[in-house]
Amino acid sequence: MGYFVGVDIGGTFTDCVVLGEDGSLAQSKVSTTPKDLVEGFVGAIEVAAGELGLSLEELLTQSHQVLHGTTVATNLIVQLNGSRTGLITTRGHGDALLIMRSAGRSMGLPIEKMLHVSRHKKPQPLVPPDLIQEVTERVDFAGDELVPLAENEVREAVAKLKDRGVESVAVSYLWGFVNPGHERRTAEIIKEIDPDLYVTCAHELSPRPGEYERAAATAINAYVGPDSAQYFNRLDETLQAKGYRNQVLIMQASGGVSPAADAAEKPVYTIGSGPVAGLAGTSFVSRQAGHPNVIAADMGGTSFDVGIIHEGEPMRESSQVINQYTISMPRLLIESIGSGGGSIIHVDEFSKTLRVGPESAQADPGPACYGRGGTRPTITDANVVLGMYGAEGKLSGGLRLDTEASWEAMRTVAEPMGMDPVEVAAGAKRIVDSQMAELMRQLTIERGLDPREFVPYSFGGAAGLHVSGFTAALGVERAVVPLGNLASGFSALGVADSDLLHIQSHAQLISSPFDPAELTAVFERLESEVQAQLESEGVDPEDIELSRFAEMKFSLQIHQLVIPVPGGTLSAADTADLESAFIQRYEDTYGKGSAFADAGLQIGALEVHGRGRTSSPDLRSSERTGGGAPEPVGSREVYWPELAERRESAVLAGPGLTPGDRFEGPAIVEYPSTSVAIHPGDSAEVDGLGNLLIEVGGK
Amino acid sequence: MSDAQIEWDGIHYPYVAPKQLDIDPSVRLHREADDEIDPVTHEILRYMLWSVNLEQGNTMLKISGSPIGAYGHDFNPAILDEYGDSVLMGPFLQFLSGAVNSGVKWTLENRGDNPGIEEGDIFLANDPWMASTHQPDVAVMAPVFVDGQVFCWVANTLHQWDLGGTAPGGFNPAAEDVFWEAPCIPPLKVVEGGVIRKDVEDLYARFSRMPKLVALDLRALIVGCRVAVERIQDIVERYSATTVKACMRKLQDDSEAAFVRRLDTVADGTWSAENWIESKQPGDRGLYRNRLELTKKGDRLTLSNRGSHPQIGAINCTFVAWAGAIMCMLTSQMLFDQMFVTEGARRHVDFDLEPGLINSATRPASVSGAPPGVLQMTTGLAELVISKMLATSTDPELRTEVQSVMGAMSYPQTSFAGKDQRGNDFTGFFLDPLGAALPAFSWRDGEDTGGYSWDLQSTMPNVEDTELFYPVLYLWRRELPDSGGAGRYRGGNSAEWAVTPHKTDSVRMLNVTSQICLPAPGIFGGMPSSTHRYQLVKGADPLGRAGRGEVMPTSIDEVEGEHRWLFAKSFDDRVEDGDVWICGWSGASGYGDPLLREPAEVETDVAAGRVSEPWARRAYGVVVGDAEATETLRAEIRAARIGGEPARKVAAPDPEGRSYGEGMVISDSGFSCRHCGEELGGLDANWKAEIAKSRELELTAANPIIREPDIYTDEQVAYREYYCPGCATMLDNEVVVAGSAPEADSRIRL
Repeated sequence: MGYFVGVDIGGTFTDCVVLGEDGSLAQSKVSTTPKDLVEGFVGAIEVAAGELGLSLEELLTQSHQVLHGTTVATNLIVQLNGSRTGLITTRGHGDALLIMRSAGRSMGLPIEKMLHVSRHKKPQPLVPPDLIQEVTERVDFAGDELVPLAENEVREAVAKLKDRGVESVAVSYLWGFVNPGHERRTAEIIKEIDPDLYVTCAHELSPRPGEYERAAATAINAYVGPDSAQYFNRLDETLQAKGYRNQVLIMQASGGVSPAADAAEKPVYTIGSGPVAGLAGTSFVSRQAGHPNVIAADMGGTSFDVGIIHEGEPMRESSQVINQYTISMPRLLIESIGSGGGSIIHVDEFSKTLRVGPESAQADPGPACYGRGGTRPTITDANVVLGMYGAEGKLSGGLRLDTEASWEAMRTVAEPMGMDPVEVAAGAKRIVDSQMAELMRQLTIERGLDPREFVPYSFGGAAGLHVSGFTAALGVERAVVPLGNLASGFSALGVADSDLLHIQSHAQLISSPFDPAELTAVFERLESEVQAQLESEGVDPEDIELSRFAEMKFSLQIHQLVIPVPGGTLSAADTADLESAFIQRYEDTYGKGSAFADAGLQIGALEVHGRGRTSSPDLRSSERTGGGAPEPVGSREVYWPELAERRESAVLAGPGLTPGDRFEGPAIVEYPSTSVAIHPGDSAEVDGLGNLLIEVGGK
Repeated sequence: MSDAQIEWDGIHYPYVAPKQLDIDPSVRLHREADDEIDPVTHEILRYMLWSVNLEQGNTMLKISGSPIGAYGHDFNPAILDEYGDSVLMGPFLQFLSGAVNSGVKWTLENRGDNPGIEEGDIFLANDPWMASTHQPDVAVMAPVFVDGQVFCWVANTLHQWDLGGTAPGGFNPAAEDVFWEAPCIPPLKVVEGGVIRKDVEDLYARFSRMPKLVALDLRALIVGCRVAVERIQDIVERYSATTVKACMRKLQDDSEAAFVRRLDTVADGTWSAENWIESKQPGDRGLYRNRLELTKKGDRLTLSNRGSHPQIGAINCTFVAWAGAIMCMLTSQMLFDQMFVTEGARRHVDFDLEPGLINSATRPASVSGAPPGVLQMTTGLAELVISKMLATSTDPELRTEVQSVMGAMSYPQTSFAGKDQRGNDFTGFFLDPLGAALPAFSWRDGEDTGGYSWDLQSTMPNVEDTELFYPVLYLWRRELPDSGGAGRYRGGNSAEWAVTPHKTDSVRMLNVTSQICLPAPGIFGGMPSSTHRYQLVKGADPLGRAGRGEVMPTSIDEVEGEHRWLFAKSFDDRVEDGDVWICGWSGASGYGDPLLREPAEVETDVAAGRVSEPWARRAYGVVVGDAEATETLRAEIRAARIGGEPARKVAAPDPEGRSYGEGMVISDSGFSCRHCGEELGGLDANWKAEIAKSRELELTAANPIIREPDIYTDEQVAYREYYCPGCATMLDNEVVVAGSAPEADSRIRL
């Protein structure tokens, strides 16, 4: 039998999921090995192989694909541990990366910090000023060469950069994505001078207008490139040596995977892929559960990440912010706020009211109940005080709870306010639930979507205790905690299910009326590029799925929308349909009467997505074997904020639940890696995939 | 005219809302609030109201799709209580704060009986004497009704493309009076009982050269408000009106508590700052004083415009705009943790206003050019007087808000028009100067191209964005070394860009700005900023030269041709094929004597290209790489300052002393030098005139980017520095216009 192996490496744990062609599933969790990540990677696969009664080599030999989600590149940039990087750019424009469009001083700050101007600061430059080299060359918006590339200046620049110890070079010229000739020639010269230098050209990474975001993507790619490439190559070699015959596929922030060799050239695409893997997992499960519209909510220790799946497709965006840098690259839409288990509960000094976050206890010291010296109460501590975790409870990874420390920490806030620690805990929980609901609301409403038509899927260690609260606050009636037992391997599962995805785009301002022949020619060129790339990666032409999109806007307006375009040779009727489809979508998204067709329509970019279907199997759905009320394994007193009192509540063992089981709240379902609170008035049911479906009622 | 004769009603004089509004009895206000609100419900409601405020702004932007809103952030949503006092101001353009308060209060006082204020009504206004910073900023204001009573208000403001008048877009630098400009609309009922009044909408759109876009934006403004009205009504239904009102009151009270607590830590006193608006109209070479005085007594602040120039030409600003400029800096420097709840400051501010001056224009003065000129300059003056006041604080944390003047005390507003590269007519304006620069603080340097304090997310367009839509080619856009004022902490550097027409014959430029001649003042011995540097170089042929293998010019010195200076107000600077048009905006000014800056910090700046080596020597007395030479040079500079070897040595400041800025200490006995202990006279005396040593220098000594003032003005202009007579530390400096006397800018009462 053939297998699909997904491995997701996080800061603490390495998760592995093995999907069999028959829909079977095995999983493992081992500690991440920060010194040599490959060790934990292989270890996790070995443990999962053992579950299946196979040796590591046997499993790898029978694996069609090994897929991997990694934070290697993300960590390099967050910890500023990357390679010494130089930038070669157009004369006169070397400061673009330092100026950061000026927005870099406050980009990504939580709103609480936005008004505090005296604290606004740009991040430490990734490329210090003395490593930014300008060379004479110029191309205009149409791609016309106005000034040829001064090759001697390129040589001098490279010599200077080498003298200054540069290991990696980014090349980004104005309009280089329209006419890449100068960037290509520059890369050739660099390689002639030193074939060992890591070189990244902007036009290959990010063919979009906007020199700052493009240069930032390129510089970051160069910055994380050498170390990421080394990691991917070593991983690939190790697995080949153990019997795996294909290339490892690496998770991208775009929601697809790409072969290790490709990822080694474009590691920037993996930045931010962590939360995307969870969204991919949601996509996998919700498809099988028959939920086309889903709000995917991942609550971990430090943040609450939300993605949207609309009509079966995750919503996308074209840039992301990391370390206050905005980088242009395709990715799935994920919005975050700093509400996590580690969010600190405190009293605001002026209002004397309760606040939660944005400060977080992080992983170290972590919540007080971790017993690592944290003394300020967090949301996790609030859940401890409410009795959501058992007195003998363990957190994921076997960390034993110090419940007394939670109480002690909660008292530090409660006493000055003249409140009971339990009241503070219940209040803090209501506050975060409400904040999470507001984020979900904003994400949907602002895109013209009605949140009530969506099902929240809630995963991540801290989410199960809040899902009922934020679902109710959002005014939605049902929510899903996916896969129960398997929830901890959820991201690995998402990785395992992902398709190869390559995106090629062509940015050019085209005004209506559109010429169908012109559009067809561009699409066909992009399609042949994507097709060739997928075929070279061994994808059967039958498994290749190509789709076309046009990024459109009204002239004099800012909003762009991505509109699907039919395949084949486009006709005048097709372009007319495209215009009306855009106007329709525009009014659906931005409101009736918002379309301003008088100004004329514009296309900013054409894009082709090429998917190499991996045909990973669906999960095997179990027959309904339960069908009754499951037997609790115990009970305990839990304080339910909406009742404002403690009530004896059933405790159910998650792993013991079977499909068809139904039960009513109040109850706590305990899984190895998470707990789920079924509030009074809620009811829950286990479906064939092991998902816990919660009907939220009574609040 | 005596104050008794002035009617502050917004008709001729500006509207200044009375403490007690006179509201028609037919308008019933919902005033009840719970006495207490539990701390958890308050926090949930606070966050929800925040979310409503953002949603109301975002909904407006979403429907409008306006690039002015999206990139220029020229909009703001607000939630106000039933009296029009502010509850939440959105996180966008901060100086719009205040205009809608005034607009709502005026509406309550003047529209209650006729046409009435009823459920489902929405009012529109752009009258700068009562509701707007200038005519293009249109506000809509919607009462939120609960049980037949006005529970609160929501309002949105958005800058419009064009509302008519003699110049497209609304700025006419040659305007003689308000009749040259877009019409002023006092609060007008545009939505009645939930229905847009077609007659009103048609009239409004009829003013504009772009009626359909203006109509679209009007819908955006209205729908944004409606969304907020409905959400607030939902929240009231869920939590009860008196609870939600209690949350609103508490937000205001908490903000007030924070403001008063901070005010308690500062000394009483009076602080002043001034600068000059340049050129009242194209061709004019005059300088017009803009003066701001802040008096703090107990828990009250009084702000006065007295001493400013009478209103004149096209440079004026109304009270609404002027007050907004001041309030936004009070919020930024004193309520930074209050999440845009500005009411705390407002409750403690009084205005001592002399009408008819450039910052308090009476009708029918021209006022549409206020934002890039007097308004923005007033944010800088407010920054200075607030900083001087905060420097007396006993709270070291609050003293970290003491700052110089941010980069660009006047927006270099340049419109451009012509035929674009596709053969169509175009008009636009450069948004590059949104890059601005943050001020120097009492503890850190200003952020280079760090944006404005009043637009927290200001974002420059990419060069490629501008080149894609307009027929210009950028030869360079780079940070300007030395543009930030020298100081113990350096002001943020600004940037400069240069364009040549591309794929068109010519481009016409129109300027409405100031600060081309005179810089922004530094603080506590920090040096002034640079000035805007506008230049047109005829016949430069940059691309031709590069094509012939010569240098592609990427700095002002490399451009060959006939160099011409451009002026603060201009109509038609024609830039033709092969010409190069250059604009560098001013940086932020400095904080503290530059000789007190650590030489290592100066060397780092020189290495990074942020400060030039010659300026490092002149301003900072630093010889790069030579500590000994630095020490000698610094001693020479000190001696030159006071005409001989200083009698006292510079010593480490006494940690027990109550510092006043970088250079001084204050005590009951008066000012003294923080670095040598020299007594400088009483806290109410003019130490600059009586005790300090001073030198009058050429203005160009203040910053290397400043040019000879006689290019721009016929006034006598100089630069004067004030030193401690004991150790020659620079304690302050002033730009001197027409021989103005040393200013007692800090009069403190401990």
